[in-house]
Amino acid sequence: MEPMDTPFDRRAVRHHRDRAAATTADVADILRDAAERLLDRLDDTTRRFTRALDVGGRGIVAPRLRARGIETFATDLSPAMAARAGAPAIAADEEFLPFAPASFDLIVANLSLHWVNDLPGALIQLRLALRPDGLFLASLPALGTLAELRTALTDAEASLTGGAAPRVSPFPDLRDCAGLLQRAGFALPVADGEDITLAYANPFALLRDLRAAGETNAVALRDRRPPPRALFPVALASLPARDGRHPVTLRLAMLTGWSPAPSQKQPAQRGSGQISLTEIFGDGSPPISNK
Amino acid sequence: MSDTPPRPVPVDPRLLEILVCPLTRTALEYDRVHDELISRAAGLAFPIRDGIPIMLADEARRLDDA
Repeated sequence: MEPMDTPFDRRAVRHHRDRAAATTADVADILRDAAERLLDRLDDTTRRFTRALDVGGRGIVAPRLRARGIETFATDLSPAMAARAGAPAIAADEEFLPFAPASFDLIVANLSLHWVNDLPGALIQLRLALRPDGLFLASLPALGTLAELRTALTDAEASLTGGAAPRVSPFPDLRDCAGLLQRAGFALPVADGEDITLAYANPFALLRDLRAAGETNAVALRDRRPPPRALFPVALASLPARDGRHPVTLRLAMLTGWSPAPSQKQPAQRGSGQISLTEIFGDGSPPISNK
Repeated sequence: MSDTPPRPVPVDPRLLEILVCPLTRTALEYDRVHDELISRAAGLAFPIRDGIPIMLADEARRLDDA
């Protein structure tokens, strides 16, 4: 397989999530914060949902959906992580989803799709698993997430070895996220950004949390050799500090999209307009001031 | 791995309604004796462990090994 087509090593992702199933409670606060921001979107709609799929919710999302009276299935690449969500749960690969068409009216993916190689393909499969007018909600770390760490690691490695390997995942730009939903066939796509800033007194705790969440490096082209011994100490020492603590940004893209249905608002037919835009905006010649 | 005895955790019948083969997207048969989900089209049997269907091609049993 071409590394360019598969930026992420899915076996490593699976391994990281298996390992993290035992430790993810250590980072539950962060996951809960993101999940609650995401599920707040459910309160913005009057729609009632009856059957939901939680994708990679790490035991945080499924209980919250069930508490709202929604029958919820949970899936994860790691069987151990899927089990944390409670039954019914399924171990499945987001790139090869095993769900019959129109199985759900709500799908929620909280911080779980950023290690998928073919994100547009996964989004299409998720849309097909939704009934018409079903809702898809996802939070994804966007570009800017862990930016402080990325810069510190790149600078430290360049100064130590004269080169730098990818050590922080490439995240999508928030501006591309709505387009991504639209290309996957979702109606009324919206992507908005929310920043969560964490402050670490001890920068090593950041690495410990990333590991506890199953978020260590699974970039296929990662440097598999042990990093230079000084790399992490030098990089972490250079993280910017404010009041003795190191701020770390999580820039979340909150995605909302609907499975298309005839009942939704549609754009007017092309050519159905009754007023010429030229009458409103003119024909491109300089405006004439009306006295 | 292929001779797993039947599990005491019964599979949730609602799972059988919504699952299809992840590779061929065709219907699955539930093998009650082996507690597996069979995809004839893909020639694979997906195990169910502790009530959780493992729908990963890497962990499925090839039917011609049986």
